[in-house]
Amino acid sequence: MIALARKTLAYEWRRFLPAVFALGFSGVLLTVQAALVLGIFDSASLYVSASSADLWTGYPGTQSVSFGRPIGPDVEMRLRMDPDVQDVEPYLWTEGDWHAAGARGGDVSVYVSGISTGSGGPSGAMMFSALLPPDLRTRLDEPGAVVVDRADLGQLQVAPGGEASIAGRQVRVIAALPGLRALGGVNVLASLDTARRIAGRDAPAGATYYLSRLRPGTDPASVRDRLSPDRAFGPFETWTARDFARRSQHYWLFGTGAGVAVLFMAVIVCVVGAVVTSQSLIGVVAGSAREYAVLHALGASMAALGRVVVEQACWVGGLGLLTGAVFSAALLALADSQDVPVAMNLAVSLLCAALVAVLALLSGLLAMRGLLRADPAELLR
Amino acid sequence: MIRQSRLVPAPRRAVAPTLEARRVDKSFVSGVVRAQVLHGLSAAIYPGELTLISGPSGCGKSTLLSLLSGLQTPDAGEVRALGQNLAGLGKRALERFRLHHTGFVFQGFNLFPALTALEQVQLPLGYLGMDNKRSAVRALRVLEEVGMAHRASLRPAQLSGGEKQRVAIARALAKEPQLLFADEPTSALDAENGQRVIDILHRIARQHGTTVLCVSHDPRAVRHADRVLSMEDGVICNDWLPADGPGRAAH
Repeated sequence: MIALARKTLAYEWRRFLPAVFALGFSGVLLTVQAALVLGIFDSASLYVSASSADLWTGYPGTQSVSFGRPIGPDVEMRLRMDPDVQDVEPYLWTEGDWHAAGARGGDVSVYVSGISTGSGGPSGAMMFSALLPPDLRTRLDEPGAVVVDRADLGQLQVAPGGEASIAGRQVRVIAALPGLRALGGVNVLASLDTARRIAGRDAPAGATYYLSRLRPGTDPASVRDRLSPDRAFGPFETWTARDFARRSQHYWLFGTGAGVAVLFMAVIVCVVGAVVTSQSLIGVVAGSAREYAVLHALGASMAALGRVVVEQACWVGGLGLLTGAVFSAALLALADSQDVPVAMNLAVSLLCAALVAVLALLSGLLAMRGLLRADPAELLR
Repeated sequence: MIRQSRLVPAPRRAVAPTLEARRVDKSFVSGVVRAQVLHGLSAAIYPGELTLISGPSGCGKSTLLSLLSGLQTPDAGEVRALGQNLAGLGKRALERFRLHHTGFVFQGFNLFPALTALEQVQLPLGYLGMDNKRSAVRALRVLEEVGMAHRASLRPAQLSGGEKQRVAIARALAKEPQLLFADEPTSALDAENGQRVIDILHRIARQHGTTVLCVSHDPRAVRHADRVLSMEDGVICNDWLPADGPGRAAH
């Protein structure tokens, strides 16, 4: 069988270009949007995913890390009583207004994370272990020492080594790191003591969270189940790190309406992509209507002609997918280099690719309408 | 209004007609106006001949061709092709009938711009289930028959009008159809190319025993036809043999 679809595509590629670009850009929009969402929501769970704790214990019903409420110091004892808990580390979350020394303009709202600066036992400290090198963690012991994200330096109007105040307490930026950006505010890392000083009279006796490391080979879920609420230790709830990260992401995705907005945008992208692509393909098919009509007159069935159109749509889809993948990769690399929070994983990229493929197929089916003009009787005059 | 054809009785032949129209009517609706194009028309077309339908614009000659070739169905009457009543065939069966038995040549050449002359001719053969190797052999043979073998690798943009029409004829012939329909095949061609196309159609009828039905008002075509059906106002007003001159019925 002569490969009519492929040969036409290769010879008249200019006519197919709008459809290829329409699909390619649909792919780019979908991918970049998904990457931004993933990046932003990854930063919602950054506290969990950048730490090496197996269990998180906080106030019952906490929806997201940033909504923590104080729990009593006795909870730490309860955790340490469990035979599978190897180490427990307090984490203090507080908020305050940042005012850079000598800066003009308003203050910046910041999230202060008070973390352990000790070695944290044989395996090291847990909180932000993936981001904070041990020597830098030790340097946080210096009173007022803080670490911020390098992308936030401009907003905080400070340079590494510079001074500022949070809630009126003096702090000094000892380093700026990548990957600390937060959703809705600026993350500032400090020692537990510095954080308590910043919190002032609001500082809890205990902590906002207790992080637990379990003995190797222990199932976190079974320990979590054992740590059922006990009135004797005050209110608390324990989650596995994975559950707590998901909980934070789900809250931002579904609890805030952001998820619906993203879904809505994805539907718009799909609809616009399908309309533009199918219109381009209909144009191509209608342009060859007379040739198709001759084939139909010669006995080629409408189904066979439809297959040619769908095959063309598949080729266009493949090329669009390739274009989209190249542009998306370039854009995501650029975003990443500029500290824009983007993230991508195999499942989501495959989902985007599948959506583009469905778009192409749908456009091909819609473009088959162009074949209705391929009436051989119209060729007779 | 249905008018009776003024056609003299169908020509008597030793062979049975391959195409027959029996008292067919056809009308078209344009807005609220209904235009009757064919009026109770009857005709019989025989194999091995180049039969020409001629007549002024709008007389219904292309409509008659579309009915006889199964591209359209009559409002009333019966069309028989190769002994089959076309009205009795479903859409799929009609497609299969056209695939196996009919070839078409249109005024516009309607060649796919992306395909070479050889591929244009191979294309319909693929729908018959023929593989590319076999179809290439047959396509080349047919291109040779229309004098286009030496241009087999060229695309339509590299061919003249006459050459394109010969490729279109080869495409129609490749399936070795028993019925070949041509609608104004020479009207877009110069004298020399028009003559060549008519000669080819004539030769096909003679050598392959094909029923060639051609609609044309080209006087050259009239001279080379075996039989001419002159139409006017939706009826055949004369059925004559060019060799004998107009006005004499083809008995």
